Amino acid sequence: MASVIVNFELCGRDVEVLVQPMATLQSVLRNQLGHTATKEGCRQGGCGSCTVLVDGEPMLSCLLPVEDVAGRRVTTLEGITPIDGLDPIQEAFLESNGFQCGYCTPGMVMVTRALLDHDPQPGREAIVEAISGNLCRCTGYQPIIDAIEKAADRLSGSGEQTGER
Amino acid sequence: MTVTDYFLPGSLSEALDLLGAHGPSLMVMAGGTVAMPLVNDGISLPGKVMGLRHAGLDDLREEGGGLYIGATVTLTRLLRQRAVPMLSEAARSTASWSVRNMATVGGNLFTPPPGGDVAVALLALDASVTLAGPAGTRVVPLGAFHTGFMTNVLQDGELLTGLRVPAVAGDTAYLKFGRKAANTPSVVTVAVRVARRGDTVTDARIALGAAGPHPLRAGAAERALVGSTLGPEVIEAVAAVAAEESQPFSDGVASEWYRRRMVRLFVTRALERIRQGGEGR
Amino acid sequence: MPEELNVVGRSVVRSDGVGHVTGRTRFAGDLVFPGMLHLKMVRSPLHHARIRGVDLGEAERVPGFVRALTWRDVPHNVYTILSLIGVEPEEEFVLAQDRVRYKGEPIVAVVAESEAAALEAVAKVRLDLEELPAVFDVEEALRPDAPVVTDWGNNTFMFEGHPSRRVRFGDVEAGFARSDHIVEAVYNSSPIEQAPTETTGCVAVPEANGRYTVYTNTQALYFSLDNTAIILQVPGKRLHFVGGTVGGGFGGKVDVIVEPIATLAAMKTGRPVRYVFSRSEEMQVSSTRSAWRIYMKDGVTRDGHILARKVTSYADSGAYSRQTPYALTKHAANAAGPYAIPNVSIDAYCVYTNRTPASAMRGFGVTMASFALEVQMDRIAERVGVDPWTIRFINAYHNGDRKPHRKIAEDATLIETMQAAAAFVGHELTDEQKAMTSAPRASLEGVR
Repeated sequence: MASVIVNFELCGRDVEVLVQPMATLQSVLRNQLGHTATKEGCRQGGCGSCTVLVDGEPMLSCLLPVEDVAGRRVTTLEGITPIDGLDPIQEAFLESNGFQCGYCTPGMVMVTRALLDHDPQPGREAIVEAISGNLCRCTGYQPIIDAIEKAADRLSGSGEQTGER
Repeated sequence: MTVTDYFLPGSLSEALDLLGAHGPSLMVMAGGTVAMPLVNDGISLPGKVMGLRHAGLDDLREEGGGLYIGATVTLTRLLRQRAVPMLSEAARSTASWSVRNMATVGGNLFTPPPGGDVAVALLALDASVTLAGPAGTRVVPLGAFHTGFMTNVLQDGELLTGLRVPAVAGDTAYLKFGRKAANTPSVVTVAVRVARRGDTVTDARIALGAAGPHPLRAGAAERALVGSTLGPEVIEAVAAVAAEESQPFSDGVASEWYRRRMVRLFVTRALERIRQGGEGR
Repeated sequence: MPEELNVVGRSVVRSDGVGHVTGRTRFAGDLVFPGMLHLKMVRSPLHHARIRGVDLGEAERVPGFVRALTWRDVPHNVYTILSLIGVEPEEEFVLAQDRVRYKGEPIVAVVAESEAAALEAVAKVRLDLEELPAVFDVEEALRPDAPVVTDWGNNTFMFEGHPSRRVRFGDVEAGFARSDHIVEAVYNSSPIEQAPTETTGCVAVPEANGRYTVYTNTQALYFSLDNTAIILQVPGKRLHFVGGTVGGGFGGKVDVIVEPIATLAAMKTGRPVRYVFSRSEEMQVSSTRSAWRIYMKDGVTRDGHILARKVTSYADSGAYSRQTPYALTKHAANAAGPYAIPNVSIDAYCVYTNRTPASAMRGFGVTMASFALEVQMDRIAERVGVDPWTIRFINAYHNGDRKPHRKIAEDATLIETMQAAAAFVGHELTDEQKAMTSAPRASLEGVR
């Protein structure tokens, strides 16, 4: 089979990859581009651990042939993590213990990023709805929801800025 | 086998040409939320696949008081449109945010529960589907699209290009019952539309999902409703008829026994909602 | 004031937290090595079958196919993970030989250049199977005419010469005879899959010094290393297991399932080999919590003292025993619960069926015992006519009590826990209940 060349924007830089036809964005990110924050929990579109943003919208990279994102803007967790320190969403997850094993966390952070971009002050119900496609088997979700509320408060400037860890 | 060719046609005519050239062995995929899991797990081993994401079938526009929905319009876009609230509700009840950003309205007609959940709302709205093939285009009422469990009237060489929702009268209600509050497969899905003159029901649609081999209308229940006045006794009687004529099945989500009871309960609730004010349309 | 503490009483950021929220934590399946091969498994589509033949011809012609492994390639193909703590006999097949005993049992491992090629080759292996009758219920499996899952003629695991793990304490029949009420019930549970978000998997990498580095998400690193050494018949020093980062386990990753065969494939090919379960493999073939059936019979006095308890439990271990014998030992030790019962008889059976092998899951053995006996306590309370709190205070164990498995209770806290729980939920206890402690009883009178 002939490989194909695909170009897209990944976290602000242009990338060009040589892929097998219909390789998933997930496999290309993980195996060819080293973006392993994009996890692989089911490859069925059922767990949300591979969530990335395509033109700012959360999508499941396990269900996306990489050819479909040619010319588009893909953001992974690597793209929102500052070189030094953490994004306020990551800080909130850290402080609220919005994780345990850490495997669902990248997907949770990505969907939170998208949620707060669309709705800077979501209610608890909107948060639950937004993460309903992201499965966590450890926490029981409450610390994750707490973390998202905290991140929303901080980013919209209505919350206390304790800065403590 | 390993995929050797993945085609992303840029237009309908290009897509139809590819379908004609490669025949039924060409796997057709829209949002990929049903096909990709099968490929990822090696359950489906297609050699050649055509993706429709760039085929220009994503028009969504108000039209003659109704709505035209291109086959590859995502469920997120269906959710965000305001013209037909029941379709927004149906989209919201389907899958999760990320899946809705990928899954398409056309593709949903091919998903489990057999025939999809959005189709239940579309049935109650008298929607039709447009099928394009080498011989031209034909329009089929959605009620005649599904022919059995995961089967339909689509012929070799044809593609579903869009859906048309006409301007229809009446109040609507859409209820999907699953085992979770969101992102949940359907135990039953119920969509109803009731037109009244004064207190008298002049026209009715009662559509059911996960209650048969495909989304179906409860025709006997509709007939029982037309001409009557929407009151508690009538609603109760109509819901019983709907439960009786439904054809539910057992699967990992719910048993046939339970689904039949839930058809009755949710038809009752949907009609009650209309009696008490409805969702509007 | 106690001396200043550094951690206790403070909120501490987890040491792995930054890695988790940035996605920089390395999970085994994230690793990519040059020349890495992919291993996929040919599995039984049937619950019980005789293997008449395996035809690899078509699979070998798939572009990218590298090699297949069958049981003949495995140096020590029949093993038992708990052999490390003396459990016998060796009984589980790394790769099936002449028979498959559960749906999804591995038969042939296929190694290929890409995952897609491995999946395609797996689909092209032809199996010639003769279906055999299967059994899925513990009590049906113990009938004389039941299909036999094991190689030794019945479906019972032997605990040091006995078909059950036994506890004998006092005289239960005498206890029943002196009781005013007999409360009998049966408790059932289904298998439960742990369903971690990260599926079971590893990457085995040949090193220049002749060793193999195995990056794995096992919950039991050295257990896995030792079993791999046994199965591959190599000294442990040739294996270097790297782990500790587990994307959810809950007991589902304590079996030694992927490492031996991935390491063998790395040995046979000289290349890194990745073997990671798909989600459907995780759900279908990774071990579950056992299905249980527990018969419980209690003799109780008019005023609520439990005089005797007889328990007969069956754990469905599935096709192989794995950790289930250990679960039954824990179960038998705990089936009397945190209660002082003077006459106890427990028989806990480990039964083989054609289900997916069961193993560990959070509190395994004890969880189902607790479910059964606490529901049983509520039933006893109802029969005696007291509230559920009272029946537990009446029967609560104290320090100094001898438990049915002969341990002397030293850290009894049921009474204090219930007092705290009552305060939390706003339940008003009686003055007598409030005054109770777990301190040793003044005399053994209370224990009868």
